[in-house]
Parts: sequence; structure tokens; C-alpha cells
Amino acid sequence: MKLFEYEAKQLFHEAGINVPKGSQTIHYPEEIVFLKLNYPIVLKTQVLTGGRGKAGGIKFANNITEAIENAEQLFNLPIKGEKPKALLLDPKVPIKKEFYLAITLDREYKCPILIGSSEGGMEIESSHSAKIVPVYGGDYSAHYGRKLAYEMGLNGKEFALVSDIINKLYALYEKYDLELAEINPLAQLEDGSIIALDGKITVSDDALDRQPKFNGLKVHHLNDLSEREQRAAMSGLNLVELGEGSIGILCNGAGLTMATMDLVQFKGGKPANFLDVGGGANRNKVNAALNLVIKNPNVKVILINILGGITACDEVAAPLIDFKQKYPDHKLVIRLLGNNQAKARELLKGTGIEFIDDLDSAVNAAVAASV
Amino acid sequence: MSILLNKDSKIIVQGATGGMGSTHTKLMLDYGTKVVAGVTPNKGGSEIHGVPIYNTVTEALEKTGANVSVIFVPPLLAKDAAYEAIAAKIPLLIIITEGIPPQDEVKIQAKAKEAGVLVVGPNCPGVITPGECLVGIHPGSVYKAGNIGMVSRSGTLTYEVALSLTNAGLGQSTCVGIGGDPVPGLGFVEVLKMFEADPATTAICLMGEIGGTAEENAAELIGSGEITKPVIAYIAGRTAPEGKRMGHAGAIISGDKGTGESKEKAFAAAGVPVAKIPSEMIDLIKIALKEKVAV
Repeated sequence: MKLFEYEAKQLFHEAGINVPKGSQTIHYPEEIVFLKLNYPIVLKTQVLTGGRGKAGGIKFANNITEAIENAEQLFNLPIKGEKPKALLLDPKVPIKKEFYLAITLDREYKCPILIGSSEGGMEIESSHSAKIVPVYGGDYSAHYGRKLAYEMGLNGKEFALVSDIINKLYALYEKYDLELAEINPLAQLEDGSIIALDGKITVSDDALDRQPKFNGLKVHHLNDLSEREQRAAMSGLNLVELGEGSIGILCNGAGLTMATMDLVQFKGGKPANFLDVGGGANRNKVNAALNLVIKNPNVKVILINILGGITACDEVAAPLIDFKQKYPDHKLVIRLLGNNQAKARELLKGTGIEFIDDLDSAVNAAVAASV
Repeated sequence: MSILLNKDSKIIVQGATGGMGSTHTKLMLDYGTKVVAGVTPNKGGSEIHGVPIYNTVTEALEKTGANVSVIFVPPLLAKDAAYEAIAAKIPLLIIITEGIPPQDEVKIQAKAKEAGVLVVGPNCPGVITPGECLVGIHPGSVYKAGNIGMVSRSGTLTYEVALSLTNAGLGQSTCVGIGGDPVPGLGFVEVLKMFEADPATTAICLMGEIGGTAEENAAELIGSGEITKPVIAYIAGRTAPEGKRMGHAGAIISGDKGTGESKEKAFAAAGVPVAKIPSEMIDLIKIALKEKVAV
């Protein structure tokens, strides 16, 4: 779950990391009238999508009239399709120097890594140009923070302040099961103080059940997804929509779903989505999945590819019968193999639902039906 | 011969009394696997499918002499279960559970490494040596004993390719699902080395996917000449969009890292044929086996 910038900054503040003083979050431009703000200010649109600055999501204002006008514009400017629901108003502060700090899990090191740079304006994707300190076994101790500050070339007061911030950021990372904790930029002001000017925090979805602080918040943090993707995410299904494709894919297991998606393209078709119903999918899950795929108006045919390992084929068969009754004219291509396969076929006898056992042939049939 | 598991492997199931644990304890027993004990705290003294349940891993090992543990417990309890197995010095730990918090996974892998315990998974289908021993959730019926080693990041995709291999008369020595999470225990590199040393394995099918650099590392190992047996690869997710998590926690392209092209290039440089579609793996394996005989 990605947090909005203003939420990330609340967590920084909670951990004792300085953030801009006198910040306000608004949901309507009119709120500005009632706020005491120290102009000039910066207005920052609150979206989960990256690339906000380049897309025009940050504006400045020297007085209340400009602030309301710019807020109006920002609320009406979607960033990559995501409409903002809030703006963060920060005082505009003169910056002497910018740093970059982040903590994330690294797959090569198999542990969290601290990332730091004494040059601001970088992105985590290009973090290979920055300094990296692995926290072996996830067993943090303050010397890791000092090591990073040293590697970043810091001395004196800067060394003390930045290594202290790294300690506090790691405490947040661990306490809240974060996937990513990033301060970018970490800014040094004219008076020498160092504050988090912007930040990104992602909470690990797999840990939400043990993080009461984020209870029930997931539904408000899916704005960068399509409506159908949001519905899938809330029902435990993994749906990724893929542009304007016409073949809906419903499959079990991430690898087989990806392979099916690739195969559809390889055979000249256009997949509408990736949908993994997961291992051990039951009838309710399959039913929900079918109903999501059919809501996509571009879908002309649904390709169902279930290879039952833990998924029982007869559990999948029941919702297929319901679906066929509800949408008798909708094209379905079905491959259903594995656990309880014979039982499933028995259930589907006389429904007009046909099976294709071979994967290549099933995909060919779906591609043919999609044009 | 085989790797990791054979007909003498003795298995304990952590979480054997849970829904999934119970189902698969039965399926493993039906396959002929020697499941000798289950472990569920506070249920010691009971039985499931005729298998005795103990309160602790230590007691289960003392009473049965098991050498493999498989974990089916819910994600938030998995770290404790894994720690318990590691503390009891089980040589091989197979973690099926999906959705373990990543920070727990880091700690599990670190602790296992320190103790010299081999871990397969998490979020994996387990390991099967066809005809001898099945540990995990592989559907036993798609496999057949033979000489192809399989190693994969995906469960269902492994079943898919195994089914095609079996239908083509090509049996398997051992099939290892290393799992779809960002911090797996055994990786491609470790499993490839085991297959290289295994006399029963003549060729290897490697099924990778986008995200991370496990495939690139495997290609580097093969390119170094350390693996002399033919390896055939497949990479799932080559048409996936950047920045989207494709089902598996580990299947995500970040920036220019983890793309299908990068993996394909690495394999090509190491002389590893890459199948464009799953069914092509069977054709490529046949060609590789023929060439091997010709040499």
C-alpha cells in the first residue's frame, strides 16, 4: 500500500524526523480561505502515481488569491489518469543542499539496503549511482547509519544529523513493515537544519494484517489503479489491465498467467488483462473474477486456463455454469485440467461448454474468437 | 538418484491440522511420501490421516528421525514456525506459505543460512522426485520418473511444462519450485549446481520470470562452464508492463531492471536456448538430448 506524501510526512514527524513547519492538507480549494499560511507556499498535488512534478502537479503561490487559483487548477489536473483528492500546502523554504535517502529490500543482497546520495533529484530506479549499505539479516544497528553517512561523504554536524535521520527512518521501516521508505529530497536549509521535504512510503501488503495503524485504509490508497483493478485488489484477486486488448485472461498461478498472456500476444492476439485467481481459488473467487473481466467493454472473449494443482476443477466449474446461463452469447474458451477434472466435466455436461486440453490450441481458439 | 528428496526422505508437516496442511498431508501420503509426523502447537497427541501430531518440532524429530520439514502455516505465523525448524536443525526446510511479510522472509533466510539449513521457498509448490517423494502441493499425476531436472519460480507453469514433458515420454529426476517471492532460499544457481552433480539428471528445464536478476545469475553460472549439462530456459512475463506486480511479489520490472529482454540476452550469451512459448521447451529439450547423444 503506497501512502500519500502528506501521510509519509506524518510518519516522519512521528519518528522525530523534521518536516516543513506549518504544512496543511486540503481537500477543496475554498479551505485555503480559513487557513493561516506563511506565503510564499508550494502547492503539491497528492497522488500515488510517480512523475508528479513533470506532469505539472506542483505550483507556487505568493498570496491567497494565487493559492486558491492554483489549487483549483491542481484539483482539476489528473496525473496519469489519477485525479487528486488532496493537496499539500508547504511553506516555500530556501534550500542550501539536497540529499537522497531510502531504505528498501534488495533481492541481490537478500536483505534491506540503505541508499544515500549527497546529490538530490535522483530516483530510486537509478539508485545504482548512489551509495548502498546492506543491513545483513535485517538486523539493524546504528553503525549502519553511520557507515552510510560516511559513504555519502558527510562530516561534522551534517554527519551527525543525517546518520540520526537514517536511524529514525529505519525504525519506521521496521515498525510498520515498510517496503519502501524514501526521503527525496532531504533538504539542508540556510540555518543548517535538515528536513524531509518530500517522501514516499509503501507499506508491505502482506503485513497489513498485523499493522493496526493502517486498518481499513487500503481502499483509500488504490487511486492509481483502474476501477476494476481496485475492485480486484479489495477481493484478493490480482488483476492488471492491459490497454485496449480484447481477450480477457483468467488463470491460476502467476507464472502460468504470465505465460498465457505472453502466448496470446505471440499468437497475434491482444490480451485485455492479466488475472491470477491464485492457488486454491474457490467458486466465489472465480465468480468474482469472471464478473470483473466481463465488465471490461473491450473484452470479446474470455480465455480460462486453469491447471489445478491446489485449485479443484469442480470448484471452477460451478461459476462457469452460472456465467453461461447469465451470458449465453458471450464467448468462452476453457482449458480446465488437474485436480477433480473428471468431476468438473461431469458437472459441465450438457451446458454447451467445451474444453480444449492443449494450451497452444486453446490460445489459438481465443485469438480466432477475438477478431 | 535425485536431488533434495528421495524414497528414504522422512517428512514432518508443520501446520498439518490446518485446512491446506491437512489436504496436502493426505495427497502426499497418497503419493507414497513418508510423512512421519505433523506439528501443531497444543494439538500434540492427536492424529491426522493416521499421522501422529506433536506440539513441537523438537519432539517430532526425536520421535521420528525426520530429515525434512514442510511448512503450511498461515503467513503471519510462518516466521516462528521456520525459526522452530531451524533451531531444531532440520537439514531441509520447504516453505509453501504465500504472503509472508518480506521482512520476516529476510530474517528466516538469514537464520537458516547461519544454521546451515537449506530452505526451498517461500511461496512455492515444493519439491517432487517423481515416483519417490512429493513434498508440497505439486499435482503428482502430471509427473513421471526420468532424467530431466526442472527448476522454476512458478508452480502452475511447472505443472504445465511437466505435463507436456510427461506426455512426450520425458520423465523428470527432480522438480524444484524455488518460489515467486523476492527473497527465496535456494535459487537457480544453487539448484543448477545440484543437478550438475546428480547422475540421474541429464538435462535441465529452467523456468524463470520477469523481475530480479536470478535468471541473469543462472546464465552467468552456465556461461562460466560450471554447468556442463544442457539447460533449456523459458521466461514468463515478457509482455508485462513496467512497474506492475504480476501476481508474484517478485514479478515486477522496476525501471530497466528485471526485463525479459535482459534475461533472454543473458541466456543467449551463455548459449542457453530460450523457448518463446512453453510448449517449445519440449522441442528444445529433445534437440538438446539428441545432440548430447551425438557427442
